[in-house]
Amino acid sequence: MEERPDEGMEELLKGLREEYNPPPPTPREEMWSALQPRLEPRDGEVVSLDAAREAKAARRPAPYRRPLGWAAAAAAVLVVGVGIGRMTAPGAGPAIGPVAAASPALLRVAAVEHLVRTESLLTLVRADARSGRLEPAVGSWARSLLSETRLLLDAHAGADPVMMELLEDLELVLAQIVGVAHAGGGDQARVRSELSLALGGLDARDVLPRIQAVIPAGPGLAGT
Amino acid sequence: MSDLDLVKRAKGGDQAAFRALYDANVDRVFRLCFRMVGEEGQARELTQDAFVRVWEVLDQFRGDAAFSTWLHSIAVSVVLNGLRKVDRHRKRERSLEDAGHLGSSPRGAEPLVADRIREAVDGLPEIYRTVFLMYDLEGFPHGEISRALGVPVGTSKARLHRAREMLREKLGEAMREYA
Repeated sequence: MEERPDEGMEELLKGLREEYNPPPPTPREEMWSALQPRLEPRDGEVVSLDAAREAKAARRPAPYRRPLGWAAAAAAVLVVGVGIGRMTAPGAGPAIGPVAAASPALLRVAAVEHLVRTESLLTLVRADARSGRLEPAVGSWARSLLSETRLLLDAHAGADPVMMELLEDLELVLAQIVGVAHAGGGDQARVRSELSLALGGLDARDVLPRIQAVIPAGPGLAGT
Repeated sequence: MSDLDLVKRAKGGDQAAFRALYDANVDRVFRLCFRMVGEEGQARELTQDAFVRVWEVLDQFRGDAAFSTWLHSIAVSVVLNGLRKVDRHRKRERSLEDAGHLGSSPRGAEPLVADRIREAVDGLPEIYRTVFLMYDLEGFPHGEISRALGVPVGTSKARLHRAREMLREKLGEAMREYA
């Protein structure tokens, strides 16, 4: 396979190296300043909800990150996931089909379904916090919910402030749970203490009551 | 301190160690991002996203390959995902500054020819353009490109060959003028 270009191509490449999107000097300090607040604590290090919320103000600044296509993709992923969940759940109702575009109503359906699943996880974690032992599956479950939360945050940007604020609070709590799960469950006292901190933030901001206020009553969400 | 030592410390949450890894690698990542998107704001965002992603998945680095190779694979993945979110085929509003830059080409190419060449590269299918930019413009070896793209080395070479062929087909006349 040819790798060394012929003479004509070599001439073209010389020109392209100089003229095709020639990179400017790297703005390394500016980029570091911008990215550093986005480096979340590692190894289960727990920060207060308020401090984390302040750090989050530095995240999601880029306008190009939220074009409509992204919202559509987020909704498609979530709604397809919901559809699969409904199809596989016992006594499930009809599945929601794939979507071609994300409407606010569709995003809200996906968000509500997501809140139901998150509430289930938080209920389980609250029980685990009392025992000081985190169920092994909780880490991956929380990680998956955290990814979905971020998709929804991007997709919802600015559309529904109440839902946005709720999702932002959930993102922080889920990130803390992921951190605790990642650090391992060997030290029961530590798990109990860190989960207690995470759930303390949850209670302080009335997150569960706010979720319950958003979730409609009735059989529509059974099996999720 | 070796990259492996720095990674080990960064895995423990040491941001100074991560900063050292950032300093050692950020130029190459930023250059690649800029070559791919051609716009500084987006190149900065993508570079930052790549390093944040690296921080998030640092535990997955096992040291099987060089840290820089692993990092570049994440950067490429971030850039390609980013490119899918924007319409890079949208007609660019070429600024007067750009036009002036092209007009003062050290190789003396006419702006029209330079425009055709740029359009030809922009118009390459993404899988070919990525390999072309990485190998021919930024000097990444095929081994690293193949890891970054998750394809065999032979595929990377074949894509480079095909990218050059497509450019040759599109630019036959312009290449003669350029040379």
